[in-house]
Amino acid sequence: MKQKCDRAVADRRSFLKLAGASAVAGTAALVTGKKTAEADTTADKVDGSYKQTDHIKTYYELARF
Amino acid sequence: MTLQVAPEDELRAQLYRYLARFLAAPPGRADLETAAALTGSETDLGKAVRDFGQLASRTSLEQVREEYHDLFIGVGRGELLPYASYYLTGFLNEKPLAKLRNDMAALGIARDPSVKEPEDHIAALLDMMAGLITGDFGDPASLSEQKRFFETHVSSWAEHFFADLEAAKSSVLYATLGTVGRRFIEIEETAFSMS
Repeated sequence: MKQKCDRAVADRRSFLKLAGASAVAGTAALVTGKKTAEADTTADKVDGSYKQTDHIKTYYELARF
Repeated sequence: MTLQVAPEDELRAQLYRYLARFLAAPPGRADLETAAALTGSETDLGKAVRDFGQLASRTSLEQVREEYHDLFIGVGRGELLPYASYYLTGFLNEKPLAKLRNDMAALGIARDPSVKEPEDHIAALLDMMAGLITGDFGDPASLSEQKRFFETHVSSWAEHFFADLEAAKSSVLYATLGTVGRRFIEIEETAFSMS
């Protein structure tokens, strides 16, 4: 029984080595790069968010009549 | 007892996290750049990852964000509803979510209070799989615990969801991510059946 169980684990291992995520290179970078990427996402959000540009300042000045 | 995480399990966890990352929120510039650098070997999963990487290198951040929006946010609702409850019962916040919450409590997993989405979102479930494998919630979960969680909460619908993602009207880059996800879930199913 124990032997059978060990063999199943070994089969699973070799299956995963052949077909599994080891077929993929580069995910580690994606995952370990997490912190930088999160910081980047915030930066991206800032890009699309409200900014007080000269155009907007002029609008405020003109609107204050 | 602390269980050692085998290299192939570490890789599984990385792929779970990587898929979750693209499904939890619109990807940022760094996500897209790293995706463009992905490669894969001559296997079904490897090829799917290669297709995804190649397309990512030709996709702009605006395009991928628009795609994410159309798929998961939308006006009113997105094209897809990536929740276990919805896939299994046709409604949100149904029994599968209640069952998941029970299992999460038993495993010592809690939702971040700042998150408003229900826990049965595909990205949350994939993240939980990764956490169980690497031991983010205490000791790494044994293979049989992982298998039970996977069979109850993931494999019952994830393949169907990834197939929908491949076929969705708004999917372009996400169609290739859908293939990666579907292939990976198939591999996980086969691997768990060997344990």
